[in-house]
Amino acid sequence: MTAHASSPLLLRAASAAAVAATLLTGGALAQTPQNGGTLTAIVQPEPVTLTSAINTAAPTGFISGNVFDGLVDYGTDLTPRPALAERWEVAPDGLSITFHLRKGVTWHDGHPFTAADVKWTLENVWKTIHPRNQATFGRVTRVETPDDHTVILRLSEPSLAILSSVNSNGAQILPKHLYEGTDILNNPHNLKPVGTGAYVFKEWSKGNHVILERNPNYWDKGKPHIDRIVFKVIPDAAARAAALEKGDVQYAVFSPVPLKDAERLGKLPNLKIETRGYEWISPWLFFDLNVDTPYLKDVRVRHAIAHALDRKAIANVVWYGFAKPAISPVPSTLGAFHDATVPQYEFDPKKAEALLDEAGFKRGADGVRFTLTHDFIPYGDDYKRTGEYLKQALKKVGIEVTIRSQDTAAFTKRVYGDRDFDISSAWFAAFSDPQVGVTRAYWSGWIGKNTPWTNGSGYRSAEVDALIAKAQGLARQEDRIATFKQLQQTVQSDLPSIPLVELKFFTVHAASLKDVVTRGDQIYGSLKDAWFDKAPTN
Amino acid sequence: MSLVEPIRVVSLPGRSGLAGRLLRRPSAVAGLALLGAIVGMAAGADVLYPADPLDMVGTPFLWPGADPDFPLGTDMLGRDIAAGIFHGARMSLLIGAVATLVSLLIGVGVGAVAGFFGGRTDHALMHVTELFQTIPPFLFAIVIVAVLQPNVVTVVLAIGLTSWPSLARLVRAEVLRLRDGEMVQASIAIGLSDARIILAHVLPNVLAPIVVSASIMVASAILTESSLAFLGLGDPNIVSWGSMVGSGREVLRTDWYVATVPGLAIVAAVLALNLLGDGLNDALDPRQNRR
Repeated sequence: MTAHASSPLLLRAASAAAVAATLLTGGALAQTPQNGGTLTAIVQPEPVTLTSAINTAAPTGFISGNVFDGLVDYGTDLTPRPALAERWEVAPDGLSITFHLRKGVTWHDGHPFTAADVKWTLENVWKTIHPRNQATFGRVTRVETPDDHTVILRLSEPSLAILSSVNSNGAQILPKHLYEGTDILNNPHNLKPVGTGAYVFKEWSKGNHVILERNPNYWDKGKPHIDRIVFKVIPDAAARAAALEKGDVQYAVFSPVPLKDAERLGKLPNLKIETRGYEWISPWLFFDLNVDTPYLKDVRVRHAIAHALDRKAIANVVWYGFAKPAISPVPSTLGAFHDATVPQYEFDPKKAEALLDEAGFKRGADGVRFTLTHDFIPYGDDYKRTGEYLKQALKKVGIEVTIRSQDTAAFTKRVYGDRDFDISSAWFAAFSDPQVGVTRAYWSGWIGKNTPWTNGSGYRSAEVDALIAKAQGLARQEDRIATFKQLQQTVQSDLPSIPLVELKFFTVHAASLKDVVTRGDQIYGSLKDAWFDKAPTN
Repeated sequence: MSLVEPIRVVSLPGRSGLAGRLLRRPSAVAGLALLGAIVGMAAGADVLYPADPLDMVGTPFLWPGADPDFPLGTDMLGRDIAAGIFHGARMSLLIGAVATLVSLLIGVGVGAVAGFFGGRTDHALMHVTELFQTIPPFLFAIVIVAVLQPNVVTVVLAIGLTSWPSLARLVRAEVLRLRDGEMVQASIAIGLSDARIILAHVLPNVLAPIVVSASIMVASAILTESSLAFLGLGDPNIVSWGSMVGSGREVLRTDWYVATVPGLAIVAAVLALNLLGDGLNDALDPRQNRR
């Protein structure tokens, strides 16, 4: 009896010990990386350019992070780690940030990388062209370069958000000698980038692939391990799943296969599903409610819609569990910035109906109160399904929804330019600081400017605009946190936009591909640590 | 008039004769029965499944037979697939019929006018037809739906606008044949207007090939709608068999029934219409009558 009872316990203890041993040795870290091999990855959709400095789209960042280095990269806990900057200091008054650059780094064309490149890019690209960085670097008044390896940013007000966005995606440094005096947006090097990174751009065959090759002069000695990376364009999700399963492709990101297929692929011995590497972007999905329309301008209607939506069902059914219900536009992954005490809109259709009645929109003879349109972000079936869920959920409380579909260009023009919609869906990256990724959704300055992925709801609040401005200039992180919490309280009670879920993107990669995720911004970072323990034969 | 009438009667078989000949062919009977069943499903959808077929009513991913409440299972959002099949029958048949009607109006109109008037008119119209024929109809339909917004009206228009050229050529050939015949020449001689001759005397005599093509065109319109929906270019607000296959595609490897059940419905409908078309072709063929 005792023997029977204790043996499972023993077994459990033994397996726990085995797990602990694996954790202690760090699994792959215990093995020595091997050099060589060609990595075939999927980029989807095909990027329009290969420099993140001028285009923040995800596929561009995914490739570009291998060609360019950032001043820093971000660890899994999102703390900055040295890259092109070996160290940095923030002055005690918060009014200057000094970066000490690595020596002996060269661009891929042999030109030395210096402080002048950083200064030039900050002044001519980040502060003028880059959609997010105009806000992030807005407080920089002067850039000083006392020598070739020191960059000092002088700020009009403290700007702590800067240090959360100076990796190769957030603040990509362009080679001044190739860009100065040219039309930056149309510079030919945007399509054949010259960086300092672990991989050198080799060729781009439009519609087929982008090829990068190992940089033999890379400053991080011994890296990269893999000789060549081929980024293939495979538009069809089923074909992507097949290519991964067959082993033709060893690395694919941003939930490359249908969510339901992920479970199946994850069980195969030759493939692994990985959800790490997306920490830096912290994506959240939301519905923007156009507050300039006759029905949605009433805050009670917006509250009613929130009560009509079951965010648990959206996470578990619509997104097959690859999502977590969101209560605030600042995702919980942003730690201290996230405010869990914001007004909550629990799933309660009765309450929704009561609110709609109160707002004066009674059900008509056919049971319909009014009709709204819904335009879903045309990034795939998951967003379409979310729209179908919205239609059914609102129908239950008497709101008829007409779903419209269109391509990305028509969608962004409709939502961010013409503002000709009622409810739209989108996901934004919050990044590790709300100033970088969240405030754009609420700042009134973006309304109707046709700048994609900004304020879609048309929400204008002097209070929120003031909070956003205030947070940009605060020196102490605690004060910024308090300001952002106040912002969350306000926007969640005005509710121009309903946060639905925090998305959990996943990566599918070959089991033989090791150390493929070594940082929190891996998805936009370099694959310099990755290696094959058994290189693919193709 | 008296000169004209007898010829028409000989050319187009009487109604009872047609039905009789049709019913003598087992394949045609099977086609009719199958089509009748599908029309019955479409008609009975509101009685059997009064609720919205897009409603999420059950546990997601119930396999067919797993729950007696949902005999054909539920899809990824817990929508009843059986309800979708019944309501989808209505939408698919409607799209097929209306798109064919659009195509018939254009195709017959162009063909009849070109064939009857000949000369420059014929030249111009046939060049336009050839222009349409050089573009693969399905690609053309994709372009139309993608440029306009995908909804029922644009899908129907896209199918109708792209499937008429072959019909126009067929009708033109038939009209050309009839045009120099005694009947038409006699009608011209007694001073009937062109419109009257075309409508009352020419078209009734080319009805047989039109009827046969129309049945096949309805089938291909249903297929085209399904293909468009499969590519995500269907109307997201309605349930059609094509949209059901399209949404089931992403779970094809794990829950294949979601796409297969509506796929089988499409097969049944297209098969029924093709069998019927074949049967009509045989029944309306005057050479077969003499046997």
